Amino acid sequence: MPTLYYLYLSFALFFIGTAGVLLRRNALIVLMAIELQLNAGNLALLAFSRSLGDLKGHVFAFFVIALAAAEAAVGLAILVGMYRTRQTINLDEVATMKR
Amino acid sequence: MHQLHTQTVGLPATITFAILAGLTVIGALFTITRRNPVVAVISLVGTFFALAGVYASLSAHFLAILQILVYAGAIMVLFIFVVMILNRDEITRVAARGMVRRGLGVVAAGYVVWLLASVVANSSATPLLGGPLSEPGADFGTVASVGASLFTDFMFPFEAVSLLLLVAVVGGLVVSRSEKQEDDAEETARRRAQVATEIRPESMVGGPTDATANHEAAHH
Repeated sequence: MPTLYYLYLSFALFFIGTAGVLLRRNALIVLMAIELQLNAGNLALLAFSRSLGDLKGHVFAFFVIALAAAEAAVGLAILVGMYRTRQTINLDEVATMKR
Repeated sequence: MHQLHTQTVGLPATITFAILAGLTVIGALFTITRRNPVVAVISLVGTFFALAGVYASLSAHFLAILQILVYAGAIMVLFIFVVMILNRDEITRVAARGMVRRGLGVVAAGYVVWLLASVVANSSATPLLGGPLSEPGADFGTVASVGASLFTDFMFPFEAVSLLLLVAVVGGLVVSRSEKQEDDAEETARRRAQVATEIRPESMVGGPTDATANHEAAHH
């Protein structure tokens, strides 16, 4: 398989993730869509890494996975805090982070 | 191993890629369209498994395993826990309010992605994008080779990531703590300290030990 098709798959994933972030109002789904975007980036990194025969892309993908773990932990903690103070995770009703 | 790889390039590899890519895209679409967050999480797990297969087809064995362990395992379990805590379905799948604005956003994002895709399509004749992938070295993408790179060239970023994870753990605790529980805990601690200073140590000497002795005697 040429790198081309992996890139197309990566673009499709990134677009689906972006559409999810923009369209959905449930903060949980928005976080999941962000994970999709991060994975699209990872896929492009790995595809180019394979194409160039360079392992640096793998290292960067590793860092992205660690970053996604940190992002998910903090993001979900913010969600739980938000639900405690406002009883909702609808992003339209939570425009500011002030209490 | 080398023989096997050269054999699988061709039709079987194409079919495998088509199946995995299709599963990935369908799972991703399910993730952003389902009303029930649990269904969304499960389809996201499916997406990550299919994506791990795609990674493996790119000879990224270590990253494929990591994808399953960290994403499908750890992160998705975290999501499931939060879904259970905030068990509330959305009333409408996509809110009607602000639809035009958000629709325009999606169109803009689609345009950007389409531009990217057309750039890639235009340069598809270059060996980097369109050429057949050269055979990777035997240790390409293995734990040993990625680990060697991680602990030599990327030693400092690696340690920085560990610091990042520590900050994320502490940040998660601080952000998600409940004000009321915090106040209650402080109140309890204050009362305990007060009780400890009010009761003199001498008065405590007789009681508990005698009680224990009696208790043990009753047992025998």
